[in-house]
Amino acid sequence: MPETATEEREVAVADPGAAVTAEHRLRAHVEMLERRLRKRDEQRRAMLHIMGDLSEFNKRLANQRKAMLHVLADYEQDRRRLARQTERLDNSRRAVLHILQDSHKDTLRLEASRKAMIHIMGDLRETTAEMRRREQELRDKQEQLVQAGKLATLGELTTGVAHELNNPLNNIGLFVGNAVDLIELAGTEKGQIVRELGHAMQQVSKATQIISHLRTFGRAAPASREAISLRQVIERALSLMQEQLRLREIEVTVDLGPVEPVVLGNAIQLEQVFINLLTNARDAVAGSRRKTIWISGSARSGVVEVAFADTGPGIPAGLERRIFDPFFTTKDVGKGTGLGLSITYGIIKEHGGTISVVSPPGEGATFLIHLPPAPAAAQETSP
Amino acid sequence: MMTPLSVLIVDDDPALLQALPQALRLRMGGVTVETADSAAAALDRIAAQDYDAIVTDIKMPGMDGLALLAEIRTRRPDTPTLIITGHGENELVVHALRGGACDFIQKPIDRDYFVAALYRAVRAHVRNRRVKDRQLALASCADELERIVQKLEREPRAVPGRADS
Repeated sequence: MPETATEEREVAVADPGAAVTAEHRLRAHVEMLERRLRKRDEQRRAMLHIMGDLSEFNKRLANQRKAMLHVLADYEQDRRRLARQTERLDNSRRAVLHILQDSHKDTLRLEASRKAMIHIMGDLRETTAEMRRREQELRDKQEQLVQAGKLATLGELTTGVAHELNNPLNNIGLFVGNAVDLIELAGTEKGQIVRELGHAMQQVSKATQIISHLRTFGRAAPASREAISLRQVIERALSLMQEQLRLREIEVTVDLGPVEPVVLGNAIQLEQVFINLLTNARDAVAGSRRKTIWISGSARSGVVEVAFADTGPGIPAGLERRIFDPFFTTKDVGKGTGLGLSITYGIIKEHGGTISVVSPPGEGATFLIHLPPAPAAAQETSP
Repeated sequence: MMTPLSVLIVDDDPALLQALPQALRLRMGGVTVETADSAAAALDRIAAQDYDAIVTDIKMPGMDGLALLAEIRTRRPDTPTLIITGHGENELVVHALRGGACDFIQKPIDRDYFVAALYRAVRAHVRNRRVKDRQLALASCADELERIVQKLEREPRAVPGRADS
């Protein structure tokens, strides 16, 4: 191009007509050059932009490289951790193998044990049969003990009852004697003799009642279970003790609540319980200024409760548990057998009930008896 | 014994209070028998009347026969008291006799023995009373004599000379 421009200018110099043309051509050439220059400038600016972008990009790349390095470090850590876990797993695997071996040995041992167990089971069966036999024996013995206790109670009652029997017998003798006298006396009216004999008959039936009650009580009755009215049981026990209590001026209060308490049990055994408790209370209040025995009862849902309280000196602290032991007595030698409360305990236990005693200092003793009530169906058949 | 005998029977058994008085009435003609069913009731009776004899049971609720006996001994020391005891109650019998009972009867009561004992007691009582009456009479006689003697001593000897003659 510069050669061309020079050539042009040379041409223009040579030929002035051609000079104008050449000038035109030159101007056009300058314009083209200027255009090119502008274009190049634009390109340069674009290049500058691109360079800026590139530098930016480069910076970002550097950052990413740093991030990549971090990530790589993390990877390395993970890898190491994995290696450790693998090692651990390997250990575990080996341990499991050991355990499996042991377990095999255990299985063998178990087999041996199983065989031994079979032997033991055989022995156990024999022992159970023996146990059952012993248990039956024990139950027989217990029944004998109950009977013995009953007779002991009876023995303690006898002195009092003998006195009670002596009275109607004495009266019978007097009434019959009077009748004999009246017959011997000429001219007595028949009615008077009959009256005397009638009185005698009344006394006979009084004595018979006492004796028949004693006989029922002493009889070795099978321990059957039926619906029993507690009121009747308590009244029967009281009737046997009545004279002794009356002579000692012991007041007895019975309050069994609005609902008749009915329990499933044995009337004679339960009567024995109350005779034992009455005998104890009778002796306990002997030295008291006020002599009272309270028998209170209540039938709540699922339990019949009887409280038996007296105004005696109470039970010395520490003896509350021992008083139910067989042959434990605080009475003088020959006064008590020490069987009463232990028999009572046994009977209540046998009835599926509980008996306990509370004796706050300064107050009398209170025996608390809980008995399971008779089922409703059984109550309907009770007399 | 001109006046009819009066006897008090004390017992807490109503049947005995029917039988025993009847037996006494049949066996002892003309006897009046009263009854009391407790020691307290008996003391009321005793305060109102002087019986020829009292028969009491030992075993009674409240005041028993022994305590009643002691009361009778202070209130009516002269009235003979018989005690009824149960069979074999020897200790009580001894207590009763020491306490001043004049006799004891064991149950069951033998009527012949009882009536005899009662008569014995009453007779002894009557004799005692007679002795006491006579003692009283004698004592008053003695007093009288004493007075006469004193009177004679105080009186001036009216005729001294005559005494010598």
